[in-house]
Amino acid sequence: MAAVEYQQASRVYAKGAQPAVDALDLTINDGEFVVLVGPSGSGKTTALRMLAGLEPLDGGQIVLAGRDISDVQPKDRDIAMVFQNYALYPNKTVAENMGFALKMQHVAKPERDRRVREAARILDLDERLLGRKPKQLSGGQRQRVAMGRAIVREPKVFLMDEPLSNLDAKLRVQTRTQIAELQRRLGVTTVYVTHDQVEAMTMGHRVAVLSGGKLQQFASPRELYDNPVNQFVAGFIGSPAMNLQTASLTDGGARLAGTVVPLKPEVRTAVARDKLTELVLGIRPEHLHLTDADPAGRQQPGTAATAVLAGEVLLVEELGADALLHVRLADEGGTVVARAEGRRSPAPGTRVSFRVQPADVFAFHPASGARLAG
Amino acid sequence: MAVLEDVTSPPATGLRPRGVSRRERWQRRLPLLPALIYTIVVTQVPFLVTLWYSFQSYFWNEPGSAHWAGVSNYKEVFTDPNFRSALVRSVTMTAIAVIVAMFLGVLLAILLDRKFYGRGVVRTLIITPFLVMPAAAALIWSGPMLDPSFGLLNWLLQPFGVHHVAWLTTHAYGSVIVVMIWQWTPFMTLIVLAGLQGQAQDILEAAKVDGASAWATFRELTLPHLRPYIELGILLGSIYLVTAFDQVRLMTNGGPGTSTTTLPFYLYQKVNFAFDIGGAAAAGVVTVILTIIVASFALRMFARVFQFEDA
Amino acid sequence: MTAITAADAPARTPRQSRRARELSGQVGWTVLGWVVGIAFFIPVLWMVITAFKPESAAETWPPQFTFSPTLSEFRLVWGGMGPFIEHSAIATAGSTVLVLVLALPAAYALSIRPVGKWRDSLFFFISTKMLPVVAAIGPLYVIALKSHLLDSIWLLIILYAAMNLPLAIWMIRSFMLEVPGEMLEAARLDGAGRIREIVEVIMPVVTPGLVSTALICVIFAWNELFLALNLTVTNAATMPMFLISSVPQEGLYIAHLSAAATVASVPVIIVGWIAQRSLVRGLSMGAIK
Repeated sequence: MAAVEYQQASRVYAKGAQPAVDALDLTINDGEFVVLVGPSGSGKTTALRMLAGLEPLDGGQIVLAGRDISDVQPKDRDIAMVFQNYALYPNKTVAENMGFALKMQHVAKPERDRRVREAARILDLDERLLGRKPKQLSGGQRQRVAMGRAIVREPKVFLMDEPLSNLDAKLRVQTRTQIAELQRRLGVTTVYVTHDQVEAMTMGHRVAVLSGGKLQQFASPRELYDNPVNQFVAGFIGSPAMNLQTASLTDGGARLAGTVVPLKPEVRTAVARDKLTELVLGIRPEHLHLTDADPAGRQQPGTAATAVLAGEVLLVEELGADALLHVRLADEGGTVVARAEGRRSPAPGTRVSFRVQPADVFAFHPASGARLAG
Repeated sequence: MAVLEDVTSPPATGLRPRGVSRRERWQRRLPLLPALIYTIVVTQVPFLVTLWYSFQSYFWNEPGSAHWAGVSNYKEVFTDPNFRSALVRSVTMTAIAVIVAMFLGVLLAILLDRKFYGRGVVRTLIITPFLVMPAAAALIWSGPMLDPSFGLLNWLLQPFGVHHVAWLTTHAYGSVIVVMIWQWTPFMTLIVLAGLQGQAQDILEAAKVDGASAWATFRELTLPHLRPYIELGILLGSIYLVTAFDQVRLMTNGGPGTSTTTLPFYLYQKVNFAFDIGGAAAAGVVTVILTIIVASFALRMFARVFQFEDA
Repeated sequence: MTAITAADAPARTPRQSRRARELSGQVGWTVLGWVVGIAFFIPVLWMVITAFKPESAAETWPPQFTFSPTLSEFRLVWGGMGPFIEHSAIATAGSTVLVLVLALPAAYALSIRPVGKWRDSLFFFISTKMLPVVAAIGPLYVIALKSHLLDSIWLLIILYAAMNLPLAIWMIRSFMLEVPGEMLEAARLDGAGRIREIVEVIMPVVTPGLVSTALICVIFAWNELFLALNLTVTNAATMPMFLISSVPQEGLYIAHLSAAATVASVPVIIVGWIAQRSLVRGLSMGAIK
């Protein structure tokens, strides 16, 4: 049973400074693949290193398999780590690298060799590489040796610190799926750090979004995408990013691009309660549907609940099957990105209109960024 | 995929890199020439002259007495027990001094690698012996430090039962070596320290996570990493120390007897007191040949040093 | 799983003991560091202290740590060292300038616009450092005699320059290698000729390195004894020679020797303290940065 719990864990580098990790509460289930994601400086790597024992805790504790390991030495924690730059021992062969931890545990040589070969087999590492030194290997091979070093230990938890960031794009996509599959096969609890939200979304069972040392939201990828708890998460998760625009409030809704976007009842309640005069609207690119409707308002009956935004196309990014339209909204509504079908996208300079369902519109508090919903 | 990435040889198309134009090549050589010519003239000419004189019998207190002597100088050198013992003494004193200095250097480098209060000041204190003029160091040690009646060392060692030892008489050999070690440990320390500080932090962290104790990390990872630095230090130290002269001249004058006569001192004596240019030249040539053999190892070491740069 | 709440007191103690361990470790290393540092420094410290003693206070048992300091020995040294320190200064400054003048273009030709056989040239320069000058001292004496350079400050300048040149070339070259290649390429694209390339791109980056190289050359030239001893008498005698002459044939003059040693070595000690960082570079022939 290798569940991990961060309980109010904190790390601060200087007295009185902003904590690098601020009272983190996170419960990771046994066998789960959890991704810590966030921009640089968000504290995700620090949180990982606290779990490894490479950073001390200045507050709270960390519990692993029911045991408080906050002050336990890294080697006694039964965890294995894959470092960003792999940290392979340069003067040792691949086999020695992978078997090093076992050697430190005084495991007999034949057993060590067996486990090393087994790990190499799982990772598809050619046996001929076992006798080579790291500098003779390619980046992808080194990455696999680093993973092999972790697998051989059969630890309670795998820690991975941005293991894909030094690989080229194609290899990154390949290795991503291999890691996810490996974790599924081995079933070991894994904590994975990355700044790339695509990695986070595709690999994790659950994803923890961090910013400024604080946990923003911890949920499944789908939940994060559909129900972001604040503006930061909404803007961070999803590519291309959610369109966020400040809009002033009027009767019946928010004013954007010369039209009024109706707001959901819960939002209207929250607005009234907090006496807001403006808020931040969030609309995902795929929720802006190209339409022929006249923005001036010839609203057809039964469709009173949609809003139509008008604008001018600035730039079209062709992606093949899709296209991304960069549109300047009318009435100084700012610039938005909309997803359209690749083969029938309007040319730059065209005036266009988008239909938006109020259900697809997110509203955020203009000051705190929190999602407004009753 | 289990693919060994092989290096494929380039297709033979008959293409060759064009290289640099002739004019450009001469333009590039020009700035090098002054230093090159200067060095050749000032260093190679004396050695050629030395070679010449080694076949001459010439005593400079009798001007104009130079005449051809064949290989008689060399015969003398090879049969002179003083030359052989001076050679052996130079080699052993250098070896002992260099090895002890390197051992201490590694320990001091480990010390200076830790953060502690006043580390910068301590580093400055440790480097100082290297900066002291070797002649001055010899004087400090032979007088204020090691004097049998008034020296500081005897006073410091009193609690250990040491009484007024005449270091430069009874332990001359050791005393000279101690001064050499004192002056060269900082050199070794700095070189090893550079190596320690060049170690990647994440490798040490990986070792921590892999369960290695501090000693195991040092033994398995740090020492192998330090090996080229240690080798470089030993090599450079040997090159500098084997020609050390000042300490012998000013502390013991080669004595008592000839117990601390090293090769440089032997040559000095031959020139200044035996006035024997021919003999000194022959001894010099033999020394140079021996040094060339050692230096070829050194140059191979320096070839490896290029890997520092290219890597 | 059972969650351990923050209310459990025992969780605090391991942290406190960790902090205590860290602190005592810190104290331990600090004490060790200072003990070692002082141990290495004591002979130098003792030299300076003894230099301020009157001879009577220097030759006592047990050695005196408190006494009334006097400048009498320094005055004696001051009186006698005039020509020696002058010669040392000229030989040191002269040889260092000569070294820089020769080494700068040579380093340029071995780094930025390299000569075809640059490896061989570099090897040649280091090899001269490995051949012991002591071996040629006899014939050197004769050459000096015959070219009327014996006991001449010019001879020292020439020889010291040759002694320091390989070192200087290695060091300056390693500094030049640090000029970012892109900066040079940008300058070339902007139409800079060789001179402008040197003045505007290379010199600003390399100048601190030149200063450290010069300081290292100064240290080695100032401290040199063997050549000075064998090839000079009075007209070019340097400070190391002064030290030798301070040693009397008979009798002990511990305080006097300390004063002479102090005056002779303190300038270079201070120079070395300032140029600390370049020491490693210079000592390892630029191999280690």
